[in-house]
Amino acid sequence: MSSVVLSDLCKSFGAIDVIRGVDLVIEPGEFCVFVGPSGCGKSTLLRLIAGLEEATSGTIRIDGKDVTDAEPSARGIAMVFQNYALYPHLTVRDNIGFGLSLARRPKAEIRARVEAAAEALQLTHLLDRKPKELSGGQRQRVAIGRAIVRDPKVFLFDEPLSNLDAALRAQMRIELSDLHRKLGATMIYVTHDQVEAMTMADKIVVLNGGRIEQVGSPITLYDTPASPFVAGFIGSPRMNLYDGRAVGESCATYGIRPEHLKLTDMAPRWRGTVRHVERLGADTVIHLDVPDLGDMVVRADGDRNPPIGSMLGISPLPGREHRFP
Amino acid sequence: MIFILPFVYILLMAVKTKQEAALFLFAWPSEWRAWENLVEVVQTRNYMLLLAYFNSTVITLGAVTLLVIFGAMVGYVLQRRRSPWNRVVYVFLLIGLMVPPAVVPTIWVLQNLGLFKTIHGMILIQVAYGLSFAVLLYRSFIASIPRALDEAAIIDGARPWQVFFRVILPLLKPVTVTLIVVQSVAIFNDFTNPLYYLPGRENVTVQLTLFNFQSQFQSQYNLLFMNILLVTIPPLLVFVFCNRQIVAGMTSGGVKG
Amino acid sequence: MTTRRRSPYPYWFVLPAAVVFVTLFLVPTVASFWFSLTRWDLFEAEFIGLENYRQFFREPFLVQGLVNTLIYAVVTSGAKSVLGLLLAVLLTSGIWFQGFLRSVVFFPVLVSTIGIGIAFAALMHPTRGAINLALAAIGIEGPAWLSDPALALYSVALIDIWKGVGLATLIYIAGLAAISPDYYEAARIDGATAWQRFWRVTVPLVRPATVTVVTLSLIGGLRSFDIIWATTRGGPGFASDVLASVIYKQYQAGFYGLSTAGNVILFLLIGVIVLPMTWGCSKREVDVGACAAMAPVAA
Ligand SMILES: Nc1ncnc2c1ncn2[C@@H]1O[C@H](COP(=O)(O)OP(=O)(O)OP(=O)(O)O)[C@@H](O)[C@H]1O
Ligand SMILES: [Mg+2]
Repeated sequence: MSSVVLSDLCKSFGAIDVIRGVDLVIEPGEFCVFVGPSGCGKSTLLRLIAGLEEATSGTIRIDGKDVTDAEPSARGIAMVFQNYALYPHLTVRDNIGFGLSLARRPKAEIRARVEAAAEALQLTHLLDRKPKELSGGQRQRVAIGRAIVRDPKVFLFDEPLSNLDAALRAQMRIELSDLHRKLGATMIYVTHDQVEAMTMADKIVVLNGGRIEQVGSPITLYDTPASPFVAGFIGSPRMNLYDGRAVGESCATYGIRPEHLKLTDMAPRWRGTVRHVERLGADTVIHLDVPDLGDMVVRADGDRNPPIGSMLGISPLPGREHRFP
Repeated sequence: MIFILPFVYILLMAVKTKQEAALFLFAWPSEWRAWENLVEVVQTRNYMLLLAYFNSTVITLGAVTLLVIFGAMVGYVLQRRRSPWNRVVYVFLLIGLMVPPAVVPTIWVLQNLGLFKTIHGMILIQVAYGLSFAVLLYRSFIASIPRALDEAAIIDGARPWQVFFRVILPLLKPVTVTLIVVQSVAIFNDFTNPLYYLPGRENVTVQLTLFNFQSQFQSQYNLLFMNILLVTIPPLLVFVFCNRQIVAGMTSGGVKG
Repeated sequence: MTTRRRSPYPYWFVLPAAVVFVTLFLVPTVASFWFSLTRWDLFEAEFIGLENYRQFFREPFLVQGLVNTLIYAVVTSGAKSVLGLLLAVLLTSGIWFQGFLRSVVFFPVLVSTIGIGIAFAALMHPTRGAINLALAAIGIEGPAWLSDPALALYSVALIDIWKGVGLATLIYIAGLAAISPDYYEAARIDGATAWQRFWRVTVPLVRPATVTVVTLSLIGGLRSFDIIWATTRGGPGFASDVLASVIYKQYQAGFYGLSTAGNVILFLLIGVIVLPMTWGCSKREVDVGACAAMAPVAA
C-alpha cells in the first residue's frame, strides 16, 4: 500500500499546456477515480504517474519516494490499457509472465506466479490461448492479470471497461471492486462513466482543462459540488443550472438537480410546458420549457405520463438547492 | 502464349545438342541432352558456376538479413518518434528509392574503405540500395501496431532493444516475409551492381556467369541456355512457394485510392 | 529537471543503417557533383569546370544516348500502363484459369533480366530467330529487330515491356479490386455500355494505380541497363545506347569524370521528370512509400 503525491505537476506538449499545476494526495489503499470531459487531460495525468510521459515541471512521489525522473518500470506501478495492449504473438501465459521473464526470474517462479494470478481471475483454462482467441472480457482479465503479477504498489487503469458491453461492464465493475478489496492496493482509475466513478471510487478527482476542479468522495461531490462545472458533471440527468438573476437569487449561478424538483399544483415556484417525456420505468424524465429560464428537467415517479404541451407546476425541495457565487 | 513460349524455348535450347542449338530453331530436340549439358555447364571454367551460386547465395542472404534488421529498426524509430528530422530523413529515403547510384564515385569510396571487389562490400552496397524500400515498407506497417503495446512492454520493464526485439519484431512477420521474398529475388537477379563492384573471376555472381558465358559459349548455345535455365530456377522456386507474399508485397497498400 | 530520461526509441537504432546508407549511397551521390567537374583517374582529380558536360553535349552519340533514354522510358512506361490496365481488366473479368494466367503474366518479372535478354537475342535473330520464322510462315518478312539501327531501341523496349508488364498488371489488379462495385452498378442503372463503363468508371478510378505504374516504370526505364547490355550493348553502333550504358562505356574506357557527368545528368533527368509526379502522387493521398514497394523489382 502506497501513497501517490503530485505537487504542482505540469505538462505541455509544445505550446499546448495539457496539465496545469495539479496538486493531489492519494492515500495508501485508496481507489481514486479521475473524471472529466474528453480532452481534459485525464489520460495524460495517468501517463505522467506511469512515467510514459515526462513532466514539464512539478514532482511525483510514490510511497514517499520522488519518482519524477524514474523509468516506468522502476516506479512500482502496473497499468491496464483501454485496448488491453496484449502482446498478440504471445500466449496468455507468456503475456502475463512477460515482465517476470524480462526480469530474469527463475522459470519455476514465473510459472507459479502466473498460475496464481490466472487462478484469481479464472483464467487457468485459457493460459495456452493467444489473445485473439479470447472474448473482450477475457482479454481484459488477462490485462489485469499482467498487472497483478507484477505485484505493483499502484495500479493504473485508463478506461479499462469502455470497450465492453453494458452487462459485462457491470460485472467487471464488481470484480474490480472485489479485487481492490482483496489486494488492498492503491488504484487510480480513469473513466468517462458516471456510474463507474460513483460506485467504485473512494475518492473522485474532477479534472477540467488540465486543472483539478474538486476532489472528494462520491457523495461529497454529489451533495456539495464546489462549482457549477462539478455540479453539472456529477449526477445524471445533469443538474439544471441557471443564471442567478433569472431565478431571482443573488448568487451568480443557481442549480437544482432533476431529482430534487417536485411536480406540484400548490403554489409552484415555476410553471412550464411539457416538451418531451422519457419513461424509463422506475422514473420518468420530463423536459419542460419554462418561460425566462428555458429548458428544465424533472425526474418524477415512473407512473407519471403528462401529455406533451400540458402545463405543469414545479417546486424545488427545500435544502437541496445549490447556489454558486 | 506469348508469356510462356520464350520459357519453352529456353528449355528446349537447353537440352539440345550443340549443333542443333546453333540453328536457333524453335523445334523439338532430336536428342535429349539435359544431363550432359548440365554437367558440362557446371564443370566449365573450374566449376565457376558453383562458385557463382555460392557467392550469390552469400550476398543475397547477408544483404537480406541486414535489410530486415536495419529496415525494421529505422522504420520503427521513424514511425514512433516525432522529430523535426523525420521530414529530412523521408526526403533522403525517397532519393534513395529513385535516384540511381553514382557508380564511379561509389567505386572510389569502396576502394578507400578496402571494400572494392569484396563480397562484404557487395553486401553492404545491396543494403544501402535496398534500405529505402525496406524502411518505407516497415514504417507503414508499424503504424498499424498500437503504441500501447510498446508502453505495456516498457511498464513491464523492457529496455528499448527488448521492446523492439521481443515485442515489435515478432509482429512484423508478414511484412518481413514479403521483404525477404522481394529483396532476395531482386538481389539474386541483380546484374549491374556486381558488374561494377565485383569485377574479377573469384567473386563472380550467377548473373555475371551468364554474361561471361555469353561471349565464351558463342558456339555452344545449348550450354548458354542451360545456364539461363539454372539461373531461373531459384526465382521459380520462390515464385511457386511464395506467390502470395510476392503479390501482397508488390501491391501492399500500393493503391489506397 | 536535470536528468532527462532516455526515449524508448533511441537514435542508435538508426545508426548502423545510417552509416551504411550515408557512406555507400549519399557520399558518392554528393561527390559525383564534384567529380563530374574534374578529369579524374580515381586517385587524382583535376578541376576542369564544365568541360565534361560540354563534351557530353558536343558528341552526337552521347546526345543520342540522352534522347534514347527519354524515348525508351516513355515508350516502355506508356505501353506498360496501357497493356497492364487491359490485361488487368481481362484477368479480373472472371475468365478461365484467371489465377494461373495472372501467375504466367507475372512470372517474367522475377526472372533474370540477363537470361531473358540472351534468350530474346536468339529469338529475334534476323534470319534464324523463331520470331521471324513464325512471321515468314504467315507470309510476312520480319524486320532485323536488334541489328537494325532504326529498330534496335524499340526491339529492346519490346522485350522490356514483355518482362515488366506483369508488375503493372498486378498493380492494376489491386487498383481494380479497390473500386467499389457500387460504381459499376450505378453506371449500369444509368444505362452505360461496357465501353462507357470502362472509360467513365474504371479509368478515372484506377488513377492512383496509374500514377504508381507510370512512376515506377518511368524510373525503371530511365535507369535501364541490364536488358540493353544483354541484348545489343548499345549497338548497332550507338543506336540503342542509353545514359546508363553510356556511363558504363565511359567508365570502361577510363573516362571517370565523363562517366560521372553522365550519372549527374541521369539524376537530374529523373529529378525533373519524377519528382513532380511523386509530389502530386502524395498530394492525392497515394502512399509514396508503397509506390516504392515495387521499386526493387522494377529497377
Ligand atoms: N502526444 C501528444 N501531443 C500533443 N498533444 C497531446 C498529446 N497527447 C495528448 N494531447 C492533448 O492533450 C489533451 C489531453 O489529452 P488526454 O488524452 O489526456 O485527454 P483525456 O482527458 O484522456 O480525454 P479522453 O477522455 O478523450 O480520453 C488533449 O487536448 C490532447 O489533444
Ligand atoms: Mg483518455
